[in-house]
Amino acid sequence: MPSIELEEVYKIFGEEPDLALDMLKEGKDKDEIQSETGQVVGVRGISFDIQENELFVIMGLSGSGKSTLLRCVNRLVEPTSGKIVLHTDGQDYNVVDADTETLRQIRETQMSMVFQNFALFPHRSVVDNVAFGLEIQGIDKKERSRKAKELIEVVGLEGFGESYPSQLSGGMQQRVGLARGLATGADILLMDEPFSALDPLIKVEMQDELLDLRQEMERTILFVTHDLDEALKLGDRITIMEAGKMVQLGTPEQIIVSPKTEYVADFVENADPSDVLRAETIASTDINPDQNNRVALTESVEVEIDSDGQVVQGFLSDTPISVKPLDEIEGLNEDAVLSTSPDTPISKIMRARLSYATTPVVIIKDGKLTGYVTERNILHGLLEKGRKEI
Amino acid sequence: MKTRYSYLTLITIVFVIAIGFMLMISCSGNAESLQDKLLGTGGGFIPIENWVTTAVDWMALNLRPFFDGITYVVNRVNDAILTILNFGYWHYSGVFIINIVGTTVQFPLLSGLVFLLMWWLSGSIVTGLGGLVMLWLSANFGYWPEILETFSLTLTSAFLALVLGIPSGILAAINDTVDTIMRPVLDLMQTMPVFVYLIPAVLFFGIGPAPGAVATIIFAYPPSVRLTNLGIRGVPTELIEAGQSFGCNSLQLLTKVQLPVARPNIMAGVNQTIMLALSMAVVAGLVGSGGLGGVVVRGIQRMRVGEGFVGGLAVVFVAMILDRATSNIGQTAKET
Repeated sequence: MPSIELEEVYKIFGEEPDLALDMLKEGKDKDEIQSETGQVVGVRGISFDIQENELFVIMGLSGSGKSTLLRCVNRLVEPTSGKIVLHTDGQDYNVVDADTETLRQIRETQMSMVFQNFALFPHRSVVDNVAFGLEIQGIDKKERSRKAKELIEVVGLEGFGESYPSQLSGGMQQRVGLARGLATGADILLMDEPFSALDPLIKVEMQDELLDLRQEMERTILFVTHDLDEALKLGDRITIMEAGKMVQLGTPEQIIVSPKTEYVADFVENADPSDVLRAETIASTDINPDQNNRVALTESVEVEIDSDGQVVQGFLSDTPISVKPLDEIEGLNEDAVLSTSPDTPISKIMRARLSYATTPVVIIKDGKLTGYVTERNILHGLLEKGRKEI
Repeated sequence: MKTRYSYLTLITIVFVIAIGFMLMISCSGNAESLQDKLLGTGGGFIPIENWVTTAVDWMALNLRPFFDGITYVVNRVNDAILTILNFGYWHYSGVFIINIVGTTVQFPLLSGLVFLLMWWLSGSIVTGLGGLVMLWLSANFGYWPEILETFSLTLTSAFLALVLGIPSGILAAINDTVDTIMRPVLDLMQTMPVFVYLIPAVLFFGIGPAPGAVATIIFAYPPSVRLTNLGIRGVPTELIEAGQSFGCNSLQLLTKVQLPVARPNIMAGVNQTIMLALSMAVVAGLVGSGGLGGVVVRGIQRMRVGEGFVGGLAVVFVAMILDRATSNIGQTAKET
């Protein structure tokens, strides 16, 4: 069951949104509407579902409406029309139609938010900042400071509990922001360009930290960024927005491999695909066993498969060699054919080949040989962003 | 909205032009009539002068209980503060007398209080000692009771101005309409020459500290409103959003986010209010509010330049004590 459902969400800034909505339905674009009515189209007709515990990234340049869309989800920005439904704690919450008190309760218990410029309260110590949401929930002081300290440890800020935000570096401040967002125990975490204001090194560190945290705590995360590399690294799925519209939605690999529009293609042009492309995508799949049930991978390397398609034995210039999983090559000092799963990122294959083998890597899916990756496949994948050879 | 806005503008312009025409037509004829209408005594086209005179007379006659109420409150607060200031002086049996430069200085608990308070509030022992020295110097002039009177009138007015001003500022920050209405009123309060309402205040509040205090409150009220308003409106949007996104209701947002974040501004308003209250409390000497203002007025009226100057210098010292004691309460050491 999806955790957040958005259906035809529109946001028009201005006094006469209905007029602009009608013009949108007539197919006029953002600039026309703005020059004719003075209404600014923030978000136009966005629909998608976010699954439970998914990290969903909304990517776009400034002015694309990504932050506005995020704020529609907790109604810091009031959507002009559309439907937003949360499914958390086994309950459904209709966000758009909720009255003030219901909305307040949804914000208090169901979601929390992390901000671009941290938005820490300058008059509160780190502990009190982290405990803010718990304080609003009416949890007593002892309990909330215990919980806050626990989360301060989770984000790696032990010993800074009594400090004030102004005494911390940007990275540390955002750790506090993250801890504050996690402290309430809300299932949904909204993150508005949380790492954009940080130095590049700290940024990478924080991204890794977020990925680690996802292993430990289950959260549905809606993450806004203008940085494609960040989106590719973090996102389970990514949606790309342009001028308030959603231009593409897909997994990082789908975005890289088959950009839908010129705009997306321009975006991914300089992206590093090595962590995104999976072995399966770049592999050669022409598996034609000869009369000995051998499949030729290169001129000198072959593998033998049985009738079920399972790999039995590798051959290097007709000399039998073993087949080893990619993860077990540590200390291996004989020739072997490496095997791996279809979802392995090619950066991992490249690393394995660099440290050990020169033989191709075979792909085993459900015990069967489905393809193989040679040097040529890797180079082609990197240069052509995984688009298939013609 | 664009169109509606321009209608409003058009109507306003037409209205203003119409009034202008009416003025011109009513004055047309001869030059004397123009002067009569526009500059004549109380008989202008819009006879504000008559209205005010009538209104003040009516108020003085009919709103007596209301003004008596205000007088009562002001006097009680003033008495309370004066009693505190005089504590050591009257009730502490061991009135400590020391001799500086040949002048007997009464040294009640107040000196110690000023020292400790300034040390604590400013966070610097040097400021505390400075306050002590300034207090002694002004006491040395021989106007100890007057200093206490000025202190108490200032603190009374400032206290009441803040009690009224900070909530007004909060209201103006939350509600744009209140802000729009409040702005010209505050301009009026701050720029209207003080004597204009200082003298009528005697009509309403009789003699004693009350008329001076009320005039002082009117004068010292605007900065606390303005700075509270400014401070709350200046709270970064992200912080407001942070508060809201965690489920604050409006009261929690105000008390847990807006007011604490705006505190440095609000405290600057407190400081400004106290300083303006002091300057006005001195001017209030003109209507017999006593204190150092009385000393200065007496000095000027009798052409005793020295007396006036010494009174003025004492005011400066009192001002410095009050300023240094209150200028730092905005930020505490931990947050800087």
